[in-house]
Formats: sequence, C-alpha cells, structure tokens
Amino acid sequence: MITFKLWNLIRGYVIINITDTNYEKTINVLQRNKINLWDIEKNDNGVSFKISNDDYKKYYKIIRDIKLEPTKKTGLSFKLKKLELRKGFIIGIIVLIISFFMFSNLVWNIEVVGTNQIVSRNIKDTLSKNGIKMPSTISNLNEKHIETLLHKEFASFKFVEAYVEGSKLIIFVKEKELESSVIKENTPSSIISTKNAIINKAIVKNGQLVVRVGDVVYKGQTLVMGIVKNKNSDDFMMVPSEGTIYGKTYYNFEIKEEKIRNITKSTDNTKNIYYIKLSDKKHKIIGDIKPFKNYNYSERAIKIPILSNITGISFVKGKFFEEKISQIEIDENSAKNKMKINLYDNLIKMCGKDAKTLSTSFNYQKDEKYYYLNAQIEVIEDIGESIKIYPIEENEEMDNNAEIKED
Amino acid sequence: MKFNNLRSKLADDLEIPNNVVSDNFDMRIQGNKKVIIENHLGLTVYEKDMVGVKTKEQIIMIKGSKFKIEEINDFKVIIKGLVEEIKINSKE
Repeated sequence: MITFKLWNLIRGYVIINITDTNYEKTINVLQRNKINLWDIEKNDNGVSFKISNDDYKKYYKIIRDIKLEPTKKTGLSFKLKKLELRKGFIIGIIVLIISFFMFSNLVWNIEVVGTNQIVSRNIKDTLSKNGIKMPSTISNLNEKHIETLLHKEFASFKFVEAYVEGSKLIIFVKEKELESSVIKENTPSSIISTKNAIINKAIVKNGQLVVRVGDVVYKGQTLVMGIVKNKNSDDFMMVPSEGTIYGKTYYNFEIKEEKIRNITKSTDNTKNIYYIKLSDKKHKIIGDIKPFKNYNYSERAIKIPILSNITGISFVKGKFFEEKISQIEIDENSAKNKMKINLYDNLIKMCGKDAKTLSTSFNYQKDEKYYYLNAQIEVIEDIGESIKIYPIEENEEMDNNAEIKED
Repeated sequence: MKFNNLRSKLADDLEIPNNVVSDNFDMRIQGNKKVIIENHLGLTVYEKDMVGVKTKEQIIMIKGSKFKIEEINDFKVIIKGLVEEIKINSKE
C-alpha cells in the first residue's frame, strides 16, 4: 500500500468530495467505470476520496457528468507544472547554480606567507610570467608545478608549499638562513683539535704552532695559536691562523648481525576497503579495517569531478596486500660483508673527507644468535678547526688583576 | 443460480480458487481491523459504523466503528476499521 501511495504521490492525485447524499451510488458508478478509488472517508461535508491524476484526466467526462469537482490536486507532477509556469524563477535558479559552481571553482588572489613584501611581489610576477594569472580555475592550478617553478626561480627558498584555500592560492615559503660564523681572512683566529689524536704532520702558514709531531692532543686543545710576538717590539699581536694539522685517530667499532632474520613476502591476496571522506574525516563504507594478520597498505583518493569540488566530499580506496613473515638464516660470509659495509658507512660519517686509512684490525666472533665484529681502524685526517679569538678589553684586564690581588 | 452452484462445485473438485470460476465472493478478514472482499458488485451502504457490500447473490453487512474504505475498484474492496459484526444476507 505504501508503494502504491508513494507512486501516486509522484504521479499526482486528486481529492474529490461528494456532498450528494446518495454517495454510494456515485462510488459504484466510478468503480464500475474502472476508476480506482482509495482513502474513501466520511466527513461532515459528505464523503471524500482520492483518484489518480491519470484516471482524472481519462475519465474527466464521466466525473463532470456526475457533477463532481476536485477539492485539491496534490503530488509532484502538479508541483512541476507550477514551476513550468514560472519560467523566470527556473531560469534564475539555473543561473544561480551555474554561477555558484563557477565562482566556487575560481581562485581570485595569491597570498604569500613567510617572506617580505618584495619577495612576495617577485613571486607573483614570476607566476604571472609563467601563465599563472588570477582569477583562475582550481583545476587549472597545479600546485606541484608551482612549487617546482618557485624552487627553480628562487634559489634562496628552503621550502615552498602551494595550496588552494577557499578562493585564495596560498604559497608558503621558508627562506634559507644566511650562513653565520664564517671567519673572514683577516679575523684573528686559532686552530684547535676536533678529536683526540696523535699529531702526524703540521703545515702552518700563519700563526704559532704549539704542538709537535708525535704529541698526543685532546679534543679542544689549541694546535696553532693566533697570538704571535711582534718582531720589532715585545708586544704580542693577534693574527688569523692558517694551516692544516694531520693527526692519527683511532676508531673502535663493535657491530653485531643476527643469524636468523625475519623477512616479509607478499602473497597474491588483496582486499579493498572504501571510505567516504567528509572534510578531513574518513568514514568506512565497505571492507574490513584489518583483513590480514600481516599486510602492506596503500590508498588513493577518488574525486567525483563536480561534487568533490563543491562539497569537498571524496572517496578513498584502500588496498591491503597480504604478507607472510618467514625466517631465513644468514650465512657467515654475507654477515661479515654486511658488518664491514656498516662499519665503513659509520666511519665515513665520523671522518673528514680527506681522511686516509692507515691500518685496520678486524676480529670476528659468533654465538647462538649473533655474529660480532670488533674492529679498530687507524686513520690520518685533518683534525684542525679555526675558532675566532677576541682581544681582552683593558678594563676587563684591570678587573682580573684586582681579583688576583684580593685573592 | 443453479449454474453458479455447478461452477462452484466444479472449482471445489478441481481444487482451483472458487471466485475465479464462480460468481461467489471471496472474503478475508485480518483480525478485526481489515476486511477484503473480492468479486463484489459495489457498495449498498457506507457509514462510519456500517458498510454494506453487494455481491452476486448476497449482501454483506459489516458493523463496527471508524470505517474507512482503503481501496475500491471493480474487483475488490478493502474496508478498514474496528469490525464487530459481519452478516451475510441473501438477496430476495
């Protein structure tokens, strides 16, 4: 019955009221003429009933002959008929929808965040020269392309991100910081040791060498002093130290490698999961959240061309790839090679670029679970680092002397 | 009348629905809320407390309260309300 009523609501129906006292006869005449009547109800004014719009049109002559007048016409078809008459209203709504769709798809201006006005203007000019002009549609803006373009054009940018927010194209910029503490050539400086080492060779162009070959030096110890005695007087003067100090350094390593290792292998089993994404929240539609014990997961966004742009609603398809964990035994040679590679990787990070290996000693051991490598490596490398030195102010010197006297 | 009885008997013997072959009405009652009558010939009375339905050989009188005819066409009539009494009178 509910489907019947719903169908008639869509097609439209007519409510007719019979005021005649002999209404049973009228109903019988109508039903004998194959007119379907429903919801016949007795009220104070007589009897009301409903007939479908199609029947009303088809048997209009009979209904008119019995002198029946419709009291109300209801349903979707009548509503649409009313709208047909209001052509201006319909055109207005269509124009409104089109303009809403158009304007919501346009980006009107560019906002640069994270830099000064001059750079902002330069960014806008660069974009304009490359054909990115405002207003522009969202679909025409390729954020990745904009980011690449700005990275190429502005070498001073450390980080660039472009994204559309509402009707704005926001470009977030982070500029590189200027390198500080670069010691100028004429700034007084000393050279200190960066590591514990044995001095192997010292080449000093400027400054006073305070260590000898074979000396053991510690980290932070001065190697070349930036204070030298003036040849013409007894005074000392501060000079920029220049030179290269090579030292023997020793590195000890203890590396271990598992004998049995777990590896994951993917099977052919896959399962999909679908989400609906409203603003930033995902809601699951179909699929299990954790279909396999071990799995690899990847997902991609599915955007519906017009709907996603207007409402921000999109779909996400996730795919689970089943993985099986199995154990493999690593043979001794492979483990030794791997440990050696790890060792040299670590050594490169710890040493300078021009370091040379003098001698190496490897000691391999193993137990039930692990292979071990104990190694000592002797390296020659530049251990010097320039530091800026400052003259002591006269007042400070006086104060220091006073303190010493008091003590 | 006799011919109708013959058709009714034939329908019973062949185990097919009676109202398909004969002019006999078919009445179903759902609790005391709804009465469905098939093979009818129209209404004789319709009041809030009484509905009369004409069939080929009988007149069915349904008494009760809050009667409403849910649907009526040339084949069936569905009467809704609180049914208290159903009386079948032969036409004279």
